[in-house]
Formats: sequence, C-alpha cells, structure tokens
Amino acid sequence: MQQTPVLELSNLRKTIKGKAIVKGVNLTLYPSQIFGFLGPNGAGKTTTIRMIVGLIKPTEGSVKICGYSVTKDFVKALSNVGCIIESPDMYKYLTGMENLLQFAAMNKTISRQRVKDVVEMVGLQHRVNDKVSTYSLGMRQRLGIAQAILARPKLLILDEPTNGLDPAGITEFRTLIRKLAYEEGMTVFVSSHLLLEIQQMCDIVSIIKQGSVIKTAQVQEILKHNDKIEWQLNAPDKAISLLREHWKIEAIQLKKNTISADIGQHPLDKLNEFFIREGLALTYCSAKQNTLEDLFLDLTEGDEIV
Amino acid sequence: MLKKSMWYSILAIACAGFILLASGFYKAIMVTTMDSPQSSSADPITQTPEDSTHSSKSPNTIQLLILGDSVAKGTGDEKSKGFSSYLPENFKNNTSKEILVQNAGIDGLESIGLLEQLQSQRLEKVIINSDVIFISIGGNDIRRILSLNTLEKDDEFNVRLHSYQSNLKLIFKELRRTNPNSIIVFLGLYNPYERATSLEDARLLNTWNYNTQQLIEEDRNTLFIPTHDLLKYNLARYIAQDGLHPNSAGYQALSNRISKSVESFLTGL
Amino acid sequence: MKLFSLIENEVIKMISKKRLMFVFAILVVLISVFAYGQNHTTERTKAQLTQRMGIAATDDWRKLADQQLIDMKNRLDNPYRDEKDKSSLRVRIEQLQYNLDNNINPLEQSAAKFTTRFMEQSIFLFLPLLVIMLAADMVSGESSSGTIKLLLVRNVPRWKILLSKYLTLMILEVIILFFAFVLSVLISGFFFGFGGWLAPVATGFKVIAGKLDTSTVLNVPQWHYTLMVYSLAYFVAIVIGSISFMISILVKSTAASIGIIMSTLVAGNFISYFLSDWKITRYMFMVNLRLTDYLSGSFQPIEGMTMLFSISVLLGWTIASILVSFLYFTNQDILV
Repeated sequence: MQQTPVLELSNLRKTIKGKAIVKGVNLTLYPSQIFGFLGPNGAGKTTTIRMIVGLIKPTEGSVKICGYSVTKDFVKALSNVGCIIESPDMYKYLTGMENLLQFAAMNKTISRQRVKDVVEMVGLQHRVNDKVSTYSLGMRQRLGIAQAILARPKLLILDEPTNGLDPAGITEFRTLIRKLAYEEGMTVFVSSHLLLEIQQMCDIVSIIKQGSVIKTAQVQEILKHNDKIEWQLNAPDKAISLLREHWKIEAIQLKKNTISADIGQHPLDKLNEFFIREGLALTYCSAKQNTLEDLFLDLTEGDEIV
Repeated sequence: MLKKSMWYSILAIACAGFILLASGFYKAIMVTTMDSPQSSSADPITQTPEDSTHSSKSPNTIQLLILGDSVAKGTGDEKSKGFSSYLPENFKNNTSKEILVQNAGIDGLESIGLLEQLQSQRLEKVIINSDVIFISIGGNDIRRILSLNTLEKDDEFNVRLHSYQSNLKLIFKELRRTNPNSIIVFLGLYNPYERATSLEDARLLNTWNYNTQQLIEEDRNTLFIPTHDLLKYNLARYIAQDGLHPNSAGYQALSNRISKSVESFLTGL
Repeated sequence: MKLFSLIENEVIKMISKKRLMFVFAILVVLISVFAYGQNHTTERTKAQLTQRMGIAATDDWRKLADQQLIDMKNRLDNPYRDEKDKSSLRVRIEQLQYNLDNNINPLEQSAAKFTTRFMEQSIFLFLPLLVIMLAADMVSGESSSGTIKLLLVRNVPRWKILLSKYLTLMILEVIILFFAFVLSVLISGFFFGFGGWLAPVATGFKVIAGKLDTSTVLNVPQWHYTLMVYSLAYFVAIVIGSISFMISILVKSTAASIGIIMSTLVAGNFISYFLSDWKITRYMFMVNLRLTDYLSGSFQPIEGMTMLFSISVLLGWTIASILVSFLYFTNQDILV
C-alpha cells in the first residue's frame, strides 16, 4: 500500500516526573483498518493515546496523523481525528443534542443534517432532547461516539470504550463500531482490556507492556499459527521429553495427567500415532484454537489483567 | 430556541455595556487625574484686610473689630448681616463718629485657631487701630464633647476647658500687647439644643461660661455678655434653620444687648 | 469567526449551568435587604433631626437650604478664606441651588443615589465574589468533570479555546453589572422613587501629601457619576476575573480556587489596616480595589496611593494573570 498512513508513531516516548511511562512506541496504521491496542493497566496505553490527540506533549518522538505532525500542525492533524478518551464525559447539564451542537459549532464542516444523521446512526433519536444527566452509561457511550464521528474523521480513537458496559451493551457497541468502520471508511483505534472484544473486532493488534510494544501482528495470523493441543496420558514426564527429543516441541504439564503444547506446523495425527507407538496410554486429546488472551498471557508473563 | 435568544440579548447588552463602561472609565481617569485649573500658589490668606485698613487712625472714626467663630461672622442670618451690620446700626444712636467694621470671623474656629490667627501678626495693624474688639469663641471647643457619653464627658470636658482657658489667657495677652486700651466685648455661650439637653449638659455649659467670665474679667477693660438667658426660652424665634446659629432676629437681639452695655463707653470716645 | 461560535458555546453553557440565575437571585435578595435598610436609616435620621432641632427637617428643608446657601455665598466673599476652600464651596452652592431649583430634599434618598452607593459598597468584596463564582468555574469546572478533554481534541488551538473562555468572562462581567444596575434601580425606585439622575454630584478630589486637595472639585450630573462608578467596578471585575481565571487554571478544583481567592480578598481588607506602613502592601491587588473612593475623595488606607497608582497596580496583576494563564494552559499536559 502506497497510501499515506492515517497514523504514524515513531519512537514515541513520555517521561513524567522521571518515570518513563512510554518507552519508544512505533506504529503505522493505514486507512480502513481496525486496530486493537492491548496491555495491562498502567502499561502506557492511555498515555500513548493522549499523546496521539495532543493532550500530552511527547518527551521524544513524533505523532503524525494523515501526514501532519500533532505538535507542529495541531489544527490540521486534529481535523482528521475523532475520539473518546476514557469515559465519555459530556456536559451533564445540557441535552444530548445541545452537547452535539456545541461540538458541531467548533467545526464549520458539520451541518445540522449531519448532526441528525449521526444521532440516528448511534440510535439516540428518541432521547436526544433529554439532559445527559438522565442517560444510562450505554447511552452516554453512544453519545460519545456520536460526537467523535461528527466531523467524519479518518481516524477514530476509542480509549477503553467498553468500560462499565453490560454484555448486551458491549455486543451493541461492537456492531456499531464495525458498521462505522465499513460504512464511513474510518480507521478505528481501540484500546481495550477485553481481549475477546479485540479478537472479534480488530484486524491488527499491538500488545504493550510496561511502556513498550512487544508484539504487533494481524489477528488472524496470530490465531492461525498458534494452535494449542492438550493431551491426557499416563506418563506426562516421558511424553514431554519425547516431544522435545523427536519433534523439538516444548510442552508443559498442566495437571497431573495433562500436558499442553504448541505444535506449530506439525500434523496432530502424526503426533498421536507417535505417542501410541512409544507405548503411552492416550486417553484424551483436544485441539483448541488459541485465543488472543492466551497469547496475551504468554507475552505479558501472567501479569494481572482485568 | 430560548437559550439562543438569551445568548443574543446577552451579546447585545455586553457590547453596548462595554462601550458605555469604557467611556465611563476614561472619564473617571480624567476626572481624578486632571490638573488644578488655577495654580494656588498665592498666599492662602489674602492680604486684603491690611491693605484696606488705614495705616493711621483717623480721630473721627470708631473702629470695630469682630473676631472669632461663625457667630462672630454672622452665619445663620438669612439677611446675611450679622453683628457686622447690626452693631454699627445700634452704635450710631450713641455717637456721631463714623463706624468702621472689620470682620475676621471664620466658621468652625476654635480657641486655638483664634490664638494662631493673632500670633501670626496678620491682624496687628487692625488691632492697633481698633476701639472695640468683639470676640465670640469657645462654641466649637465645647460642641464636640456634648455628643460623648457621660463617663467620658466629664474628663474630656475638664481637659477641653483647661486648654481653652490657657488659650484664652494667651489671646488676651496677645491683644493687650498690641492694643492695651480698646474695650473687649466677649460673647458668652448659649445652648442651641435646649430641648434635647440633659441637666448634666446644662451644668457643663454653665461651668464653662462661669469660668470664662472669671478669666476675662481679670482684664479691667473687658465686658462679658451672657447670651444663655436671652435665648433659652426664645430658641424658636432666635435660632436659624440650621438649628445652631442665631437667625437675623437673634443677631439683632444680641446686638441690642451689647449696644446697651457699651453705650456710655461709646459716648466717652 | 470560529471564535464567535466558541464564545456562544461558552455562554450557552453558562446559561444552562444556571450560574447566571444564581447571581441574579443573590443580587435580588441583597439589594432588597440593602434598600429596605437604607429606607429605615433615612427615616431614623429624619426623626433624630426633627427631635434635635425642634423642626420637621423634612418639611422645612427649603428654609434650611436657603439659609445655608446664603451663608456659603457670604463665605465665598470672605477675604480670609483661601482659594482651595472656595472651589469646594462653589461646588456645594451649585448642589444646593440645584436642590432648591428642582425641589429635591437633600436628605431624601433616590434610586440614583442608592444605585451608585450600592456599587461603591460592593466594589471591594461583594462584586468580586460574584465574579469569582463565574470565573473560578470556567476552566476548573471542565477539568473536574473531564469535559476539558473533549474541548482540546478539536481542530481548534488551545489558546483559542482559552481566549473564548476569557472573552466570555468579560461579557458575563458586563452582565453582572447590568443586573446589579437594573435591579438596584428597580428595587430602590420602589422605595425612594426613580428620580435623581440629573442632580449634581461633586467629584475630582485629590489627596496630596495626606491632605484633601479640593481645588479641582467639580460637579457632574448623577448619571454621569453613576456611570463612572460602574465603569471602575467593571475594571475591578476584570481584574478579579483574570486572577480567579488564572487560579482556576492552576488549581483545577473549583472549590479550592474559590477558597484561595476569597481568602486573599478578605485578608486584603485587614492587611490594609495592620500592615499599612509596610511598603509592599500597596502593590497587592486587594488593597487597591476601592477605586470609587478616589472619585468621592475618601481617604485611602495607605498614604500616597492615587487613582493612577491603583489602576497601574491592578493592570499589572491583570496582565500577569493573563500571561500565566495562557502560558500554562497551552503547555500543560491534560491528565484528567
């Protein structure tokens, strides 16, 4: 793809009070991608996002949105961004419509009709003239998305968007984001700790830990190549050493009679045949598709994630 | 939409208000920082009295000098005459000589002020040529303490009376040094607030007048004219609208009393 | 004209927050109480005068005024009087003459007098309080509710957002004064009648070397004087507004910023008494707020202060506050 990247982070660093929060993040996003940004709490996700939208000045490195530097060309860069940072804080003493009109007034390109269209798009048309203080969290979230997409941004940034939503709300939200990405052709940048969400929604994922990105890859690619197999057999120790000697596969013992291993490209039927040939009593075998969560746990070495 | 129209009215008020207030601010600065229209470098006390007085006394005139506070000056007379007019009118009955009047009365003057006025020597020439010197002083010395409460009043009264007495002594010394022969007519104090006065205050006023009389009559050529008795039951008739000074009728009544007292002295001149 | 839309946004927020209604309500209550109290005081003064002088001062004021007028004209001719006294005498004579010509009892209150007096009394504490209520919330309110993030991620530079807020504050300060004026006139007019706008008022006093210099005194019509008082009040409102604005940016909590600036103001009121010989005191903004005193010729608590001095000091504080506000706001990291 020879298009200008929608978002380009190069060697982005932030140090607050002598503590390095973000340690050199590099990232390039192209149009119409849905990107997931994953990491445990305190890993630097929110700080990175705040640097992208210019709320925080980077200590080092640069942020470019559609080719414009956020620090040097703030107005042009931010013309292409819509975002929700953490919770969707709106003016509670205004109605939903008044809130949207406030933001519409700040950008000449937004017409009255556009505001109406967006309200319908997020499904708020029945409550839009009520005060925001009477809204449920889900409705505020939808209003937050409405204000973010008002100006048809090329880049939509959603920081922890499903925080506090109930399962039904999350499903609804996911559908909405997918719809927006395809209908409006936006690049969506989602940070979330709900890994399943990212897995179901995103095309690309980056995993950040203690301020550094430790892996960036296509979600499908990660899942395809990381099939995990579980065996129940009578001599797990022997099985582990056999796998290592003959197949160069590192297996781990999960329970008393259960071992698990990532077999990569090796065919499973051949492996099972091999175990039986070696005289092991195999009672159960399951091929489980790897989830992003497993990957995430592996990569972050079991750091607590909520 | 209601809020929209509120916004437009706020904007209109703010714009108009801002222009108005800015002009007011400019005006306020100009008013408080402008320069004096005239340079007041001239001596505050004009030299007129000295200039107008004859350097030598003519034998065919009687010179009357009026010194002291607002009563001396004639404040309160709706015909704006005061002692300066009534005394000469009355004196004419007793003498054929021409009567010249100098009024140096100043509103609000206290005994210390009169003393300073005399010590400044500005009136020296006038005093030398005066045959009759009329003084009304002390009213402003005592007036201030009447509003105090009873406890403070006695102490403050004694302090005031004491300093007044010493001022008065010096005033007489100064006058006699300049002119040992003239007759000095001293006006006693009256009480303009008769109706609102307590017994205690009446006592203080009497003490004041008594002490004043004692002191000035040590000088042989001096006359104390009481006023309290004349005005006590005639306040409505004799006190001006300001409730403090005598009115025209009051000044006339006092002038009559003074003239009567100095009749024989005048014929002797 | 994006700035215009931004200001509109801010004003609409202020209207919706009901802050303006709150200010309005406080003014209604306070002015009513003051007007009633003033009415009461006037009645008592009249009663005292009547008792003391044995005449009905209210009915007979013309005779009294005639008398005073004659006296003062006489005094003007007195050669023993210096020129300075004379100019203030002339001013008094003009005022009395006006009262006589227009049959206005000088003892009576009027809406014009009350409206002016109310602002003269409000300028150093009450008016700043109202301004603080609006100003302290403008930035810190958005910080504590988190909405500041929504504002700053638009394609509008930060200084423009802040400028729109500052200009909104200046607009609302006019509105506060407008409310105060209209309410004073309406409420006091109910007690004292609506007249008195053309009566002459003396101004132009100067304090030189601790003494009142009256040589430049002149009479201006009451409405003119009222306008000057309200203009100075507006200047004070801008000063206090700017300082509160800065504090609200630095502190980020509405309650804390209101607390800081209010305690500073209250402290200023007794600093001028206790530390009046300390040189630095005169450079504090709190002791320079009583600008209307220079119009009426009242003595300043600290010697050597003049209108120009006070205005320069206040202007210095204002400019410094605005500079700090903009520098800090455009460079700070938003972490809420």
